[in-house]
Amino acid sequence: MVLTRDTTPRESRPALPDDFAQRFGAQFAELSAESGDPREFSLQWGTRAKPGNPQAGLTIDDINVGLYGHIPDRAESRNRIPRGAIALKGVTDVGGYSVCDAHRLWSDQAGQLYEEAIQSRWQTATDLPWDTGHGVPEDVELAVCQVATELCQQSQTEIEAISKWFRELNPIYHEVKLHLACNVFDAARMFDGYYKRAMLNGGGMLLESTGYLNRIIQECYSGWTETSTLLHLVRGSFTHTILRYLTTYGPTQLDRELAGRCLADKTRHIAYAMDHLRFSFSKAPERAGAYAISLVAAEAQVARDEADHVLWEALAVIFGGGVRGMDEGMEIVKRLRRDWVNDYLDRMAWAGVMRRAGVHPALRQWIEEPDTEAVGS
Amino acid sequence: MPTEMRESEQQPAEPLDQLLEYGRGNGYQLDWLRKRETWGNELHPDMEHGGLRLQDAEVGPFGEVPDVSDNETGRPRGALRREDAPRVGSYRVKSKSEIWMRNAAALYEEALTRQWSSATDVPWETLKPLPDDIERAECELATFLSDVEFVAGDVPGRWISDTSPDFFEPRMFLVSQIMDEARHLDVFRKRALANGGGLMQQSRAFAGGFGSSIDNARDFTEMSVRLHISGEGLILSVFRMGERMAYNDAEKEIYRLCGSDESRHVAFGVMHLRYLAEAEPERKEEIHCLLDEVEAGLAIGEGTSSQNLLTRVGSTGSSLAVLLGAGNIEEGEKLAQAMRQRQIKEYIQRVKVSGFGERFENGRSGPVLMKYVAG
Repeated sequence: MVLTRDTTPRESRPALPDDFAQRFGAQFAELSAESGDPREFSLQWGTRAKPGNPQAGLTIDDINVGLYGHIPDRAESRNRIPRGAIALKGVTDVGGYSVCDAHRLWSDQAGQLYEEAIQSRWQTATDLPWDTGHGVPEDVELAVCQVATELCQQSQTEIEAISKWFRELNPIYHEVKLHLACNVFDAARMFDGYYKRAMLNGGGMLLESTGYLNRIIQECYSGWTETSTLLHLVRGSFTHTILRYLTTYGPTQLDRELAGRCLADKTRHIAYAMDHLRFSFSKAPERAGAYAISLVAAEAQVARDEADHVLWEALAVIFGGGVRGMDEGMEIVKRLRRDWVNDYLDRMAWAGVMRRAGVHPALRQWIEEPDTEAVGS
Repeated sequence: MPTEMRESEQQPAEPLDQLLEYGRGNGYQLDWLRKRETWGNELHPDMEHGGLRLQDAEVGPFGEVPDVSDNETGRPRGALRREDAPRVGSYRVKSKSEIWMRNAAALYEEALTRQWSSATDVPWETLKPLPDDIERAECELATFLSDVEFVAGDVPGRWISDTSPDFFEPRMFLVSQIMDEARHLDVFRKRALANGGGLMQQSRAFAGGFGSSIDNARDFTEMSVRLHISGEGLILSVFRMGERMAYNDAEKEIYRLCGSDESRHVAFGVMHLRYLAEAEPERKEEIHCLLDEVEAGLAIGEGTSSQNLLTRVGSTGSSLAVLLGAGNIEEGEKLAQAMRQRQIKEYIQRVKVSGFGERFENGRSGPVLMKYVAG
């Protein structure tokens, strides 16, 4: 039996055979090593996955054929059995892997995002034009260093927040874990890129973040979905907007390219979170309402960060070309803040959480500003 | 030529004090706008020789790694503190010696340089139908490795979030390891599903238990010894013999690429242990006790619960014998025996380089292990 790639949407695939659970859990585990037929040791002998697109090679989604592509709504084991392998009878839990429901982590996009991340791989050491980053006026250079400090700290928060969840996310949903491995790697590279940028002309790391949103991202133990929402949609939308503006207003080619590379990575992270949240609500629609309420508290912390002047002033210096251009720069900062809040609200609405009417007043003020030209949207 | 540091020759267009005065006069605070100790030192990387590497950028106070970290807010090392910033980290690993090693930044950069894609860098078209017993053995091995790569990817994650960001170099390296292990899991799963076999039975080796495991380690060094020095070291030895087990170019390339990644992970463990032995010699006896456990756990083929895939009993050991003997189990078993011997020799070499070689001279290392090497 040679199977081809199953491109049927997951929801409309036929139900698994009646004896699936029996085959999966019991029958094959009884086979002894002396069994004569090697084919009995696989639940789907004859599987020959082929690349769906020769240009893209053999992707992680290409190998989701037959039962290997069946994503269960709930993982029955809390150990590391690869999805579709034959379970050993009596294997105990290994600790962790508590996130066992698909609606708490799954996204149909995860496999594709993983392969995209691998294909888009880059490194800061050699893929950036470092020689174009010199000769920046002192005030602008220091502002770049302040923004770099903020972005480095955001990256570190992202690294910590995701890393601690790996042992909780059930391996049955390996596509998500693969995507998140890329996500945390991207975050490390963003730290690395902005750290080097801050050091390039000796400016170094300046003032640390206010840290209120960082704190609630780290403190979020209620679930991966909640952590992802805070990290990728609340914080991620903010970081994404800053990077987008830096691709236009970065003072050097280096700054624009660095922001552009990180922006592409960040876009993937947000795409996962949006798709996951939407999937989650499709399985547990009652959660959307609760989410809208929970986000009130998150937005209150964002408002505390938002009230601090440091990042806004630094961005205004960059956008205005120096301290003397800060008034003009601050007008651009206002547009950035408006874009950020709108992007955040639009993404939440796409996923099923309607926050626009109830968004925190400190954020609402920006979307009530008179409409001005957006950047790169 | 490495990155060159030069003093900036550029003259400021307008003195900073003057600009600050102007800005403050216009209602801005600008209290963050200040020059640090490194101001004016420009980095000029040689793009033909590695570009701007992390280790090149660690200068001045930013390159000073504290022996004990008091960073509770998650700020980047060397950044200026805010008195009102909330504590966010609850970092358990606060002592440098607990996690440090001298070349983590270089290993991280190497990991970035050597990124590869299982989708396009493996010549999948060279896979051809294999005899059923060979295909089963390949898939048995691939299933085992898919399982084991979850261990090596998931466990370090916990330690990253537990470690102070002042030690960002080892944290960054561990992030790169998570990435590598994701790719290994992915490539072995692809191998199992690309040539007619499918995934086989899950491994007994990674079932839960009562502690003394990579999962349950309560100390980073313990985890690293179990994971990097022992577990990954043993697998590295197998990958190095990949040429003997492979039946086509795709499999050869998989073993070669994974072996290259794995050797970085093992190097991390060796270098960390070496640093610990130098920085805290009073912990050496504790580490020797740990190595006693590790060596007993190697079991050298004495039981089915061994995490060594070359265990003599059990499906992975049999599979390797089938692959090495091209279906001739007896012949394959002889080669597997040689491979086990090589595994143990390489393990001993790693422990020696880590600074714990005396155990092989003073009789501490178990007689089974030494007999094995002698044999």
